[in-house]
Amino acid sequence: MNLTLAIGLWRQRLASPVRVVILGLLAVLPPTLMALVPGMGLAALSNGYPIAMVFAVGMIGQDVSSGVLQLVLARPVTRSEYVFSRWLAAGLGASAVSLAQVGLGWALVAIRHSPPDPRAMLLFAAGREFEIFGVVAVMALLSSLMGGLGDLALYVVLNVVGGIMSMVGQFQHVAAVSWLGQELGALLSPHVELAQIVAGTPSWSALAAYASNLTLCLLVAVLVMNRKELSYASG
Amino acid sequence: MSIRVVGLSKSYRRALAGETVLALNDVTLEIRSGEVFGIIGPNGAGKTTFLGCLLGFLTPDLGRVTIDERPPDDLEVRRVTGYLPERLVLDRWMTGRAFLAYHHALARLPDTERPAEVEAALARVGLPPEAGARPISKFSRGMLQRLGLAQALLGAPRYVFLDEPASGVDPAGVVLFRRLLNEIKGRGVTVVINSHQLEQVERVCDRVAFVKGGRVEAVETLEAGAALARVLRVRSLPGALERMGRERLTALARDAAAALADFSPPQARFAVADDDAAARLVAALVAAGVPVAEAAPDESRLERLFLEPPSGTATP
Repeated sequence: MNLTLAIGLWRQRLASPVRVVILGLLAVLPPTLMALVPGMGLAALSNGYPIAMVFAVGMIGQDVSSGVLQLVLARPVTRSEYVFSRWLAAGLGASAVSLAQVGLGWALVAIRHSPPDPRAMLLFAAGREFEIFGVVAVMALLSSLMGGLGDLALYVVLNVVGGIMSMVGQFQHVAAVSWLGQELGALLSPHVELAQIVAGTPSWSALAAYASNLTLCLLVAVLVMNRKELSYASG
Repeated sequence: MSIRVVGLSKSYRRALAGETVLALNDVTLEIRSGEVFGIIGPNGAGKTTFLGCLLGFLTPDLGRVTIDERPPDDLEVRRVTGYLPERLVLDRWMTGRAFLAYHHALARLPDTERPAEVEAALARVGLPPEAGARPISKFSRGMLQRLGLAQALLGAPRYVFLDEPASGVDPAGVVLFRRLLNEIKGRGVTVVINSHQLEQVERVCDRVAFVKGGRVEAVETLEAGAALARVLRVRSLPGALERMGRERLTALARDAAAALADFSPPQARFAVADDDAAARLVAALVAAGVPVAEAAPDESRLERLFLEPPSGTATP
């Protein structure tokens, strides 16, 4: 990872008041809800995708459409190094906030009620790490395809399309369409069932699918970036 | 140690219009090590595409570009390259100092030298130390251009690519820009400038390529003309210039630090450095008994090249 690029992404994200406000709300509100509503438990924290999105949306496309990327790539930085560094930086940033959120939730619940099962908390936090790095890889791919914040729009559209395909497939009894919709959904929301692994019954195919999806997204993002022409003359 | 361009062609597909536009057509030239090379031409001539190919931002359809015998996007080339884009968009949330430090780090220059070199870079382009602490979003256009230039010159690059470097810069900035160019030229840096400001190009460049319709129409050597960048057209009364004669007029111009460019009585054209030199020349003509009916600035060499491009192929 290129540390300069990583720090650049963190500072870029923290310089955006909108992102900081959303991140602050995401970090504080769910743990507060978790503490205030007895029995709500970890469900209040939800998955790691929203936090990951705050760091990941526009991670490449914003630099491309603003023109900042030209100056960065005029330096001794390869395009693959840029993509991997942005992915890792966004993942690590979201991961830190996610851990802080889970920690805050644990502390607030421990103060108001009895502390939650540490093992469950640990599994929950680790599972979110997989979600975060997975969805950030998906966003790296979408962001390499779309300028500005277009990756978020594409993510939403693809999710809607996947959902519709699943429903249509089920209602019309067309297994292939339903399967395609579910695969699209799985690709957009990568996760790993850690509970199964801890119980000693891991789904190797699910693990392989997660790893291959993540790798595929990053490799395609690098491929797209390597083919991208960085001059307004080409626009 | 040079930039070689061989048979370079580049086209763009306009998907909506369903057509292919040829932006560069079989361009071959060599930019010698240590020279300041200008690229001029009308809008849409292919200058920006050419610069994009030189920097490895665009992939040519045909031909190749090499810098020190390597592809332009080779990391070894990038280490010794500085670039100032025309549409300068900087990370607006950074301060001037943070921006330079960021690029210093990206250029993989030593961490220990960073603070001192960033301060030196700010000073070099005439930005006060307090500008370093100001967010880039609060910079004026001219300050942005200076900061961009400071960024391009970080780490003593051996190749510098400048796209409209003096755009939006005040007269003091233009003078500074010229001084900086002379300074880096003195260090043997190869500079490629894409600019519409012909007077500036004529003053700083050793050679200039005139690009039109994706082709290099001409490559002009300007070493001799650089100091005498402007042309003064003088009209005298009928018979006066003939009486003086071409030889005497040439000597008179030389004594006034000008050069006779064209002798077609009752008019003559003189190459002069600036307004002061033009005024001195007119005074010398009057003192020598030439009745000056009219004296007006004329097109410079490059302006004339722009207006009347030569036919035929260029010699790189």
